[in-house]
This record gives sequence, structure tokens and C-alpha cells, in this order.
Amino acid sequence: MEAPQYVAARVQSALAEDDRTHELGVRVDVRGDQLFLRGQVGCEERRELIADVAGEAAPGLVVHNEISVVDVREPGGEERL
Amino acid sequence: MSQLRIAAVGDVHLGEDLRGRYRSRLSGIEEKADVLLLAGDLTRHGTLEEGKVVAEEFRDLPVPVVAVLGNHDHHSDKPAEIAAMLKDEGISVLHDDSVVLDVKGVRLGVVGGKGFGGGFAGKCASEFGEPEIKAFVNHTKRIADRWRVALKELQADRRVVLSHYSPVNDTLAGEPLEIYPFLGSYLLAEAVDSEGADLILHGHAHMGTEKGLTPGGIRVRNVALPVLGRAYGVYCLGEHGEDPDHC
Repeated sequence: MEAPQYVAARVQSALAEDDRTHELGVRVDVRGDQLFLRGQVGCEERRELIADVAGEAAPGLVVHNEISVVDVREPGGEERL
Repeated sequence: MSQLRIAAVGDVHLGEDLRGRYRSRLSGIEEKADVLLLAGDLTRHGTLEEGKVVAEEFRDLPVPVVAVLGNHDHHSDKPAEIAAMLKDEGISVLHDDSVVLDVKGVRLGVVGGKGFGGGFAGKCASEFGEPEIKAFVNHTKRIADRWRVALKELQADRRVVLSHYSPVNDTLAGEPLEIYPFLGSYLLAEAVDSEGADLILHGHAHMGTEKGLTPGGIRVRNVALPVLGRAYGVYCLGEHGEDPDHC
């Protein structure tokens, strides 16, 4: 059986290099047959694509997509320097 | 001298799927800021199609816009073309050089570019060994040298450095330690400290921290959108006025 560290590394590389994602900031953890994805992206479509690419890179694992969509809030007050 | 309000954000990673969404947050920016600086990673894949979205999202704003590109904007080997698209819409794009803007009668000088990695003092790569390692380190050294020259020659009342990669590790807190060498280089901070600046802005480190300092005491702000959690940060430069709560 492949060590989970290698599986997680393969998923992370796929997320960075796949044309559908190019996401560098996703944290990937493998525990048994469970794959956990954490991080932030700009919209729901990108969030779903990350789960697709991760699932293809690690077939047979159950993908838990815990990535959140960044909410761009109104700018706040300024900081005086 | 008037105070200046510098709005800044990086890592907006725009594409067709986000068209219009960011623009809606820019309405009324002229009431909050005097200039908008974009700290790279404006696209996700660095394609011309995404570059067009960026140009359209940030064009015709009531404040001047200055940008640098990031590593994502280089992925499709079209950085010059993307920069040209932005310039066609009146957006200044820095590539290890400078621009001076007249803002409320104050000369605001902005120096910068993409920056690059290598790591931080005592825990960094050296120009030694295989040609690939030498090339990696030399790329950062050349950038830092160009910033030093641009800062030395800059004639301005206020000086801001705009980068994508980080010049300090303070603003990386929250990122895994193992990837720090890919997030920035102390050589960038060393160059800026040697010539002086009022503020350094950068992006790239999505899981980092907003506020930091160079060893020379220059304020550093990580304005990556996921770090800010808001459309842009606003930083006020200048003498403190009568009202301490407002710029």
C-alpha cells in the first residue's frame, strides 16, 4: 500500500499543475481512505474543480472538500503609518 | 505635505468566472484612497483571456492604478503581453523599475516588480553548486540590485515598494516553514533597507499575516486578498494631522 504522504504529495502537485486548478495554497491530508482538502478559493466553481482534480489523482479515497470560498468584504478603515 | 492614502491588494486571481465581482467592490474607492496598488497574481493561469478580465476590472478607476505581476501571471509565458494589456487601459506596470505619480501635489514614487524567492537570512539558498541553484539565487539577486538602483535614483516625496514575493518572514507567519524559500527573499528587504522607503507591500503568501517589519524598520504589509479578507487595505502615509482617527 502506498504511504499516505506520497498520495498527499501527488494530489498537491496535481492541484498546482493541472490546467483546471493551478492552486498552490491547498492543504492536503490523507488519513486512511479519507482525503481532506483545506484552503480558500475565489468561487464555488473553483472549489468543485479542486475536488475533481484531487479525486482523479487519488482514486479510491473519499474526498472531504473543506475548502471555503473567500468572501470579499467591503474595505475597512485605513491604517495610519 | 498632504497625507497619502494607499489602497493595495494582491492575489485577486481573476478569470471569467469572477468577472465583475471584484469591480463591484471598487466603487467609491476615491473616497477611501488616493491610489490603488496591485501586488501581483492578478490572474490564475496567466492567460491573455484572464489578462483581459483584469484590465477591464481595473480600468477607468477614479484613482491611478499601479501593478506588478506575480508567478501565476507568468505561468503561460505571456507576462509582457498581459502587462501591455494593462498599460493600454492606463494601468502602470512595474518590472523592476519605478513610476512617480503626482497625488494631491505630493510626488509618490513606487518602485518594484515581481520579486522572487530564495529564503531568509541564515536559512536561504546560496549561489553555489549546480547551475539550476545558481540561476535561482541569481534571479533574486539581479532583481534586488535593480530595486536598489531604482530606489537610489527615485526623486519623490513618498516612497513605496510594491512586490509580489515577500521581503521578510514576519508576514509569512501561518505558512508552512518548509516553503518559506519559495515565498520570498531577504535580499529584497536588504535592498530596500539600504536606500530607504516608507512602506513595502507584497502578496503571494495566502496563509500569511498582514503586518511585518524589515530589519531596518520599514513597515511591510502582506495584502494578499485571502489575508486581508476585504477588497483592499488602505495605508495612510504622512505626518499625523489634527484628527488622529483620519488620514
